[in-house]
Amino acid sequence: MSTAYLDHAATTPIRAEVIAAMEPYLWHRFGNPSSSHQWGQDTSAALENARAKLASAIGASPSEIIFVRGGTESDNLGVIGGVRSLAFAFPNSKPRILVSAIEHSAVIEPAQWLENRGEAELRTIPVTPAGTIEGELNTANPSKLPCLVSFMWANNETGLLLPLSEVCEWGEPSNVVVHTDASQAVGKVPVNVSELGIDLLTATGHKLGGPRGCGVLYIRNGIQVEPLIFGGGQERSLRPGTEDVAGAVGLAEAVHLAVSDLDSASAHMEMMRDRLQARLLRNIPGLRINCGAAPRVPHVLSVGIPDIGDTGVFLTALDLEGVAASGGSACHSGANKGSHVITALYGPEDSLSTIRLSVGRDTTEDEVDSGAKAVTTVWSRLSALTAE
Amino acid sequence: MSRVLVAMSGGVDSSVAAAMLVEDGHEVVGVTMKTFCYSDIPAHGKTCCGLDGIMDAKRVASALGIPHYVFDVEEDFTRDVIDDFVSEYAHGRTPNPCVRCNSNTKFRDLLSRGKALGCDRIATGHYVRVSHSPNETILLRGLDEDKDQSYFLWGLPNEILPWLLFPLGKLTKDQVREQARQLDLSTADKPESQEICFVPTGDYRDLLRKKLGDVHPALEPGEIVRSTGEIVGHHSGFAGFTIGQRRGLGGGFSEPMFVLGIRPDTREVVVGTRDELFGTQVTVRELNWLTTPPQADAEVKVQLRYRAPAVTATVIDIQEDLTLSLGAAQPAITPGQSAVVFCEEQIIGGGRIV
Repeated sequence: MSTAYLDHAATTPIRAEVIAAMEPYLWHRFGNPSSSHQWGQDTSAALENARAKLASAIGASPSEIIFVRGGTESDNLGVIGGVRSLAFAFPNSKPRILVSAIEHSAVIEPAQWLENRGEAELRTIPVTPAGTIEGELNTANPSKLPCLVSFMWANNETGLLLPLSEVCEWGEPSNVVVHTDASQAVGKVPVNVSELGIDLLTATGHKLGGPRGCGVLYIRNGIQVEPLIFGGGQERSLRPGTEDVAGAVGLAEAVHLAVSDLDSASAHMEMMRDRLQARLLRNIPGLRINCGAAPRVPHVLSVGIPDIGDTGVFLTALDLEGVAASGGSACHSGANKGSHVITALYGPEDSLSTIRLSVGRDTTEDEVDSGAKAVTTVWSRLSALTAE
Repeated sequence: MSRVLVAMSGGVDSSVAAAMLVEDGHEVVGVTMKTFCYSDIPAHGKTCCGLDGIMDAKRVASALGIPHYVFDVEEDFTRDVIDDFVSEYAHGRTPNPCVRCNSNTKFRDLLSRGKALGCDRIATGHYVRVSHSPNETILLRGLDEDKDQSYFLWGLPNEILPWLLFPLGKLTKDQVREQARQLDLSTADKPESQEICFVPTGDYRDLLRKKLGDVHPALEPGEIVRSTGEIVGHHSGFAGFTIGQRRGLGGGFSEPMFVLGIRPDTREVVVGTRDELFGTQVTVRELNWLTTPPQADAEVKVQLRYRAPAVTATVIDIQEDLTLSLGAAQPAITPGQSAVVFCEEQIIGGGRIV
């Protein structure tokens, strides 16, 4: 059986160059960066070099880079820390949070939690499958309250690119902080924080050939974020704890590499994605390319498939055919609950079952063809059973 | 070689069943059914998926080198098993949720997903034998008399029978544990699960209170009466009783008292002596037959509760209901429990006692 890993948006393998860059810091260059002796100086330098490398790859200054443990932590720090900082700055009004309806749960859940605790008011802004916001932003905060806006750069389930420059231009700069989860965007499309004028940005290593559990929160100079955990003051007191030097080095190297060869890698991924899309459109009548008419990141293909019923069963059958895919996002495995993203885009009564196929920089034509074949095989079997 | 979907609860039985199928050269696909959400139980934390059984099954599947998936059947299970369980107690009967699950949820779901996954067979770790022939599939009692689980399987839909594999039917529990140890399965010495899977507190009345609300006739005080009508005590809710029960009736009787019946309309619990507990006739409803049903006047064996011996009975009437005359009087014939009809070792079918 030929196998095909078509779930690179869930995670993608670490690159050999990244492992090579990390290796010394997993082993003999072990000093604590906070130590003043030579061992500490060695790793402290590595950490700061990593910070500078990462910063330069996304158009930031080194002082704007906070290393954290992965994308979820970065989102939580950005949302909760950002809102609390607004609350300090504007003690007389409760901050508002505006999120798109298709945010990752690492943004929605902390935002919801803040609202439940009475710390903020949450507004969810609809987004269309064409990627438009349709003027909702302008009416979402008429009283001009201090406001944290969180709109993802690229949606993880559909690949949809949101009109972030529009979002960044919205509102009064003095009382609006804009955060974006760019986990699926960095290394796939050009991401430059200073050009865009974003305040907070989340990225994570394992989506772009870096190590798992290593993420970053970009905090534009002048923007305040309150810490969520407390300790020894590392990472400007925003992420205390002895630094993961190897992780930071690996993350920086991965971002640097991904950005350096972005054009060729993106072109390859787009070609593979389009090949897969064309085959599925040809084989499966009634197939819908989710957000197909909108700008998308090059590696994600989200398809609505008719007549197959439960997405979980479809994915299990696909796995038994040797093909890895996911149902929207991979974070809810086993639960098989409908995706809030697809519901937000296509309504609660959507009759199609959505699966996400995502390619990586090393995905081959053979893999794509096996994937297309397996999806078609399973679709045939399930739609025949549904018709019974 | 065929592709077999095996239900793995994380317990030793289904672990060994899966291992035996692997050993026999099948392409085995493991699956654990998530039947209800554990999020109400503080000890299990917020997530449903952190459940011990699922994790045990995953470990075993990994050791066996087979894929493992979790199927969420919560909605069906709640409707067909838990809601029925609650309703039966609310009506003064004693439900058998394992029968309901096997008849309505587990095997139906296994079959439909098995088909979707391109499987040729479905398997579980039940102690029961299955014999396939071109004309008919028959189910037989498990060889281990102590563990035989045929009592729970009379309600299987007929179209499922040809798909079934029961690898443990010819083994004893000791042999199964021994197999598990030899295979070094992490579940080898896991204790037997006794309680109802969706009543983790061990007291089903907690669930009834949650589902029915605190104010419900089944959970309100009532009288304990003799069959003569004489009031001999009070109880705190008839849902706490089952036929044949001795506990909870209070003292002061000259001889041991047992629950003979429950009258939900008047909330009375009827008690009497051990002699009064016996009956010689049973009527059964919601019948299901796994093979040709018996005819009137036929002599069959019938089992009236789990672990009770099957007794000889004669079919008095068989139409919508089945009425049996028992060869010897039986104690505590309990509405809601299953009456399972056998011909020697073969399960013929069964129904719910009314």
